[in-house]
Amino acid sequence: MRVASKSIYDAARFNLANIQEQLYKANQVVATGKRITAISDDPVGLTQSLHVKSALSNLEQLGRNISMGKSWLAASESSLSQVQDIISDARALCVQMVNGTIDPSQQASAASIIENHIDEMVSLGNTEVNGHYVFAGWKTDTVPFGQDGTYHGDNHAFTIKIGNDTTIEIGADGEALFQDLFTTLSDLKDALEGNDVDGIRAAMTNLDIDHDRITTKISDIGSKVLRVETNERIFQDVTVSNTQRLSEIEDADMAAAIIDLESLEVVYKAALASSARIMQLSLVDFLS
Amino acid sequence: MSGLGLVLEIAKTALATQRYGIDVTGHNIANVNNPSYSRQNPVIEAKEPASYGGLLLGQGVDTTSVVRATDQFIESQLREQKSNEVAFEEMEQYMQILEGYLNENSETSISVLLSDFWNRWHDISNNPAGSAERVAIYEHSILLAERFNSLEADLIQMKTDLTGAVCFGVGRINEITEEIAYLNTQIVAIEASTTANDLRDKRTALVSELSEYLDVKSFEQSNGSLTIITARGCVLVQGNASYDLEMGGATGDRVIWRSSGTAIVDITDYLSNGKLGGWLTMRDEVIAKCELDLNALAKEFIWAVNNQHSQGVGLKLFEPDSTLTGTYKTSTDLDALEFGSEIQYIADGFKLWIENRTAPANPIMNAVSIDLSGLSGSSSLADVATAINNQIAAAGLAGVTASVSDDAIRFTAGSDYAFGFSDDNSNMLAALGVNTFFEGASAGTMELNPVLSDKDYIAAATIEADGSYAPGDNTNALAITDLQYTSNQISQWTCDRVNGNTQSTVTATFEQYYHGLVGAMGIISSSISRSREFNEVMVNELSQIRDSISAVSLDEEMTNLMEFQHAYEAAAKLITVADEMLEELLSAK
Repeated sequence: MRVASKSIYDAARFNLANIQEQLYKANQVVATGKRITAISDDPVGLTQSLHVKSALSNLEQLGRNISMGKSWLAASESSLSQVQDIISDARALCVQMVNGTIDPSQQASAASIIENHIDEMVSLGNTEVNGHYVFAGWKTDTVPFGQDGTYHGDNHAFTIKIGNDTTIEIGADGEALFQDLFTTLSDLKDALEGNDVDGIRAAMTNLDIDHDRITTKISDIGSKVLRVETNERIFQDVTVSNTQRLSEIEDADMAAAIIDLESLEVVYKAALASSARIMQLSLVDFLS
Repeated sequence: MSGLGLVLEIAKTALATQRYGIDVTGHNIANVNNPSYSRQNPVIEAKEPASYGGLLLGQGVDTTSVVRATDQFIESQLREQKSNEVAFEEMEQYMQILEGYLNENSETSISVLLSDFWNRWHDISNNPAGSAERVAIYEHSILLAERFNSLEADLIQMKTDLTGAVCFGVGRINEITEEIAYLNTQIVAIEASTTANDLRDKRTALVSELSEYLDVKSFEQSNGSLTIITARGCVLVQGNASYDLEMGGATGDRVIWRSSGTAIVDITDYLSNGKLGGWLTMRDEVIAKCELDLNALAKEFIWAVNNQHSQGVGLKLFEPDSTLTGTYKTSTDLDALEFGSEIQYIADGFKLWIENRTAPANPIMNAVSIDLSGLSGSSSLADVATAINNQIAAAGLAGVTASVSDDAIRFTAGSDYAFGFSDDNSNMLAALGVNTFFEGASAGTMELNPVLSDKDYIAAATIEADGSYAPGDNTNALAITDLQYTSNQISQWTCDRVNGNTQSTVTATFEQYYHGLVGAMGIISSSISRSREFNEVMVNELSQIRDSISAVSLDEEMTNLMEFQHAYEAAAKLITVADEMLEELLSAK
């Protein structure tokens, strides 16, 4: 083939520009550590990485929801076990008061112990986490129990999301939990003050019922904590595997990228050298 | 008889021919890097011999013509390929800009903002009464809406820029075709007697430039004039006449061909090559799809969030003496509302709650269940207002009235009366833009409902059947967070200039849909780049073939120069010899 002078220069221009473009891309990969720097680099991989990123963002949020749920459940659990203790104390006191001869001063002091228990119960019923009342239903900003044990909350349970389609009750309807207990305790106090042994016996039976209810609730909370923690662990695993997948999609294989860059460098140098030599050749130089 | 005069005569033609040869070589050398130049060669022939004394003696040499080394077939192949390549080159450049707009490696990309939008709703559901959470969703939603707005604005700006570029291109095309028509006239005139090499090169260069703007087909007539036609068989140049293109159509963004008469042809959708082809494909196919899909997403997203939001209640009811105006307008019937087609005209429409606060310590909450079965898509807003007012009165209640203000529905509370909504089974509230989260119905118009500047109206709660609503109620917020996992039917567009745009539906969550859109743009972009690379290689190959036929080789020209120079020296020697012989004769005594 006949080669025109222009062709030699054109070929040098075309080839050098091509290698330069590849060098630029290879350098971009090495410099950023990312395989995908523009959406056209790997559209399919990019779409996958966007899916993974939004899944990760959702997991992170669910993780925050869960840690909040855990703090609510922990607070409820600790309050309720204290309530359990109070019930046990009150029941022991009843046993003491029903058996044997008890003088009025002992009864009066027992009544005042129960009164203290009622006050404690009020403050336990008003347990709050970050300014929210756990046992107020949805009225989380309203103090649920007054000094006399009247309930100001509502009959719902505060619920949060701990999975894409999973919600969990982390608060409680304080009325269902505490109201009977307040009645029992104030009845007991009245019975003690009035030396009403039958009343004390009735209170003992009611305390047992209350104890059962609180125990059931505590075990319910325990199983919720378990559920929440299971979800948390699963999410942590999924987060790790997703992060790994994201890195597989997005991140460059550095060793391969550097080898690519170096081999392109060799090609580029060779092209520069051969172009420089061939462009200098001309018959003109050999004519005198 | 042959005399010494013949020798001199032969030497003279030889000198002239070698001189012409050196001229042509010089011309070739001078044009060594002129890309449109075709190297020229003198055609040298021996002169007709004449008979002298019974001998047939040669009379020297003659340069009969100078011809161009050129191959029409390769030239037109190259031109076509180049035209293709330029289209892809232009698309690739604009695609890079578009990719920048869709850049996903940033904290303000739409997909990050969408994920965060749901996360902020999770935060509200975790703490529905929290003012920090409410401010966060408010500010964040403004950011999201603005991102949609600015992406839409960027796309529109790109389309405007492209139309501007097409307009400039049309101007240049008209200049070129006029010039080609003028060259046609000159070439026809010159070639009556000789070859118009350089004018032909000039014309070839212009045709090449023209084909870098649009689709071009050319035919040479027997008299040497070139006929050029473009898409849809529209003639751009014929003989000494050229026909102009112009910008036209309803919005002035179409490319129109005008004949010598009154006939006009819209060739916009049929231009696929050259810069115009690239620009128009970008504008009417790639960006058009991106914009349509973005708007389809924005519309569905706005609707889903609004529809759920309108079911709820904020931290407080709409206050006494306040007005609440819908964000969607219609001056005609309900079908004309942005989301009018979503309304269900059912008996169990929605609940309007009215709280009577005449006794402040003991407010009374009552609901009117609004029956919409008497209305239809052809009812007006006034009909809706009347129906609501009648039903409030029929329920024996008062204190809230519905009216129409500036083509939108308006609820007005009397003093001592507050109101709220719940249980909308009819989509009426969302379609009217009442108690909604966003306003607008497209990427460009998406904004936050101005009512929400009082963040207490962000509806995380629901009014219960007994009329109570609590600050810790997060049922509506939870329902909104569910929207992120819900698959929706969202329109997806395919834009084709010749066959028209077609719409299909995909089932995807909002985020998946957006990711798909970005991915689709990435695929378009990478396929454009690949086509550009392929065409570039083809152009390069064809250019080499063309250059091997037509371009100048300096080594060759230097050799030719030597050849002509030596021949010239020999011819000069011939004159010296003849001169010496003459002198010899003249000095003979």
